[in-house]
Amino acid sequence: MAIHKQLLAAVDGRRGLAAADSLCEACVTLFEIDAAAISLIFPGVNSATLGSSDAAARVYDELQFTMGEGPCLDSVATRGPILVADLADTNKVRWPAYGPAMLDYKIRSVFAIPVVLAGEFVGALDLFRAQPGELPDDELAGAVVAAELAGAPLLDLMGSDLQAAVNDPGSSAWAEFNALSRTEVSQATGMLVAQLGVEPTDALVRLRAHAYATNRSATDVARDILDRRLRLEAD
Amino acid sequence: MQPDKEGKVTDTPRETRVLEAVVSLVDNVLHDFDVVDLLTELTERCADLLDIAAAAFLLADPLGQLRLLAATSTQTRELELFQLQADEGPCVECYATGEPVSVADLRTATARWPRFVPAALEGGVASVHAVPMRAAGIVLGSLGLFGSQPGELTESDLLVGQTLAHVACVALLQESAPTPSTVIPQLRSALNRRIVVEQAKGFLRERFDISVDEAFALLRRYAHAHGDHLTDVARQLMGEPSSRPALLDGMTQLVQG
Repeated sequence: MAIHKQLLAAVDGRRGLAAADSLCEACVTLFEIDAAAISLIFPGVNSATLGSSDAAARVYDELQFTMGEGPCLDSVATRGPILVADLADTNKVRWPAYGPAMLDYKIRSVFAIPVVLAGEFVGALDLFRAQPGELPDDELAGAVVAAELAGAPLLDLMGSDLQAAVNDPGSSAWAEFNALSRTEVSQATGMLVAQLGVEPTDALVRLRAHAYATNRSATDVARDILDRRLRLEAD
Repeated sequence: MQPDKEGKVTDTPRETRVLEAVVSLVDNVLHDFDVVDLLTELTERCADLLDIAAAAFLLADPLGQLRLLAATSTQTRELELFQLQADEGPCVECYATGEPVSVADLRTATARWPRFVPAALEGGVASVHAVPMRAAGIVLGSLGLFGSQPGELTESDLLVGQTLAHVACVALLQESAPTPSTVIPQLRSALNRRIVVEQAKGFLRERFDISVDEAFALLRRYAHAHGDHLTDVARQLMGEPSSRPALLDGMTQLVQG
C-alpha cells in the first residue's frame, strides 16, 4: 500500500486528538524514525503539543516550548521545512539550548514540516531520530503528506461545537482533505472573515461546523455563502 | 500579414508573439515575481496564442490530487470544469501518463470521461487538450486547454503549449535546483499561496460587493500599482488585520478612480 494511503487509513474514522496521535504513530511505523509529534502554535497564545507517537515524543516536542526554540517554532517562523541532519555537528549549532537537551535524550536528527490551515502556518509535524543523517526523499514526501493530513485534526480541536474528541467512524479523511482545499471553500472563508471579523482559521472552523450541523458538504455551504444565499451569524 | 484560425488578419506573425511572450515571462522569472500572478498571466497568454477559450494550470498536491493553481477565468461554470478535472478528464490523464492528451472533438469522448464530457459540452467546450509539466523526473501537473470550436492542436500549437508549461515549471521551481526534496515543499507552498489569494477574493467580494473575478482583478491591479506581489497583498489582507484599513483605502481609490 502506498505511503499516503497508509497515512489516510491512520486518520480515517478518527477525529481530534485521536487522529493526531494515530498520524504520529503511523509516521513512526512507516518511516525510519523514533518519535513523532504534532504541535500547534498561535502567536500570542500558548503553544501546545497535540498529538504524539508516545510519551517520549511528547517530552521532546514540549521541551521546545519550555526553551523557546526548536524545530516547530522555526518551521512556522520560516514557513518551510526544517531539516537538521545532525544535532551533534558543532559547525551548525542551530539551537544552543534545545540541541544539547535533545542529544541528552539520544536524539541526533530532527525534522519539522509546517502544518498549514486556511493558508495560515499554525504548527508543525516534528520527527525525531536517534541516527544522524538526512531524511530520505521518500520519507520527506511522506512527511509532507502527513503534515497535510494533520490539518483536519487541528480544525477539530479548534471547533468547540464539533464534539471534537469524539471519534466518528463515518468520517473520511480523504473526502475532508479534498473538500477543504476546494477553491470555493477558500473564497467563502475570505467572505466570512469580512462578515464576521474573525481570522481565516476561525472562519474555516465556522464554515465546517455549519456543514456538519446541517449535514451538507463544505463545498455546498461555501457556494451558498458566495452566492449570498447563506449568512452565518457572528458569535 | 497572416490570417489566424478564425480568418482574422493580424499584424504580427504568431512566432513573433510567442517569442515576445516567452521573453517577457522569462524576464519576470529572472527578476522578482509572484508565482500565482505570473501563472495567471501565462494562462492568459496561452488562450491568446493558441486561440482557445480558456486555459488552466493544475498542480498535483502532496497526495497526488490535481489542484487548480491558475486559470484564465474563475467564473463558477468554468471553475467547476477545471476542478472536475481533478477526478477525470484530459488533465488527469496527462498527469498520470506524463504525455500530452488531445481530443479534437469532445463529443467522441463521452465513454472515456462520462462525468467530465457532458459538463464540458454544456459549458460550451468543444475540444480539450493537456500538456504535462515536468521537472526532476516528476510530473508536477498539467496545463489544460479548452477550445470553443472542435479542432486539432497542430504540432506548433503543441510546442507553444509545452513551452509555456515549461516556463511555468521554471517559475515554480526557480528557487533551487529541483530534487524531490526541494520540489515537493515548493509545490505545496505555491498551492498554499493560492488558498490565501482565493480567501482574499472572497474578502473583497464581501467588502466591495463585486464578483470574485472582479475581486481578483482588483487585487492584481492593486499589487501591480504598488509594486507588490499579489500573494503578499493577499496574505497581508487575510493574515494581518492591522494592515487591512490601509489596503482597503488604496483599493477603494482604485475602484473609484
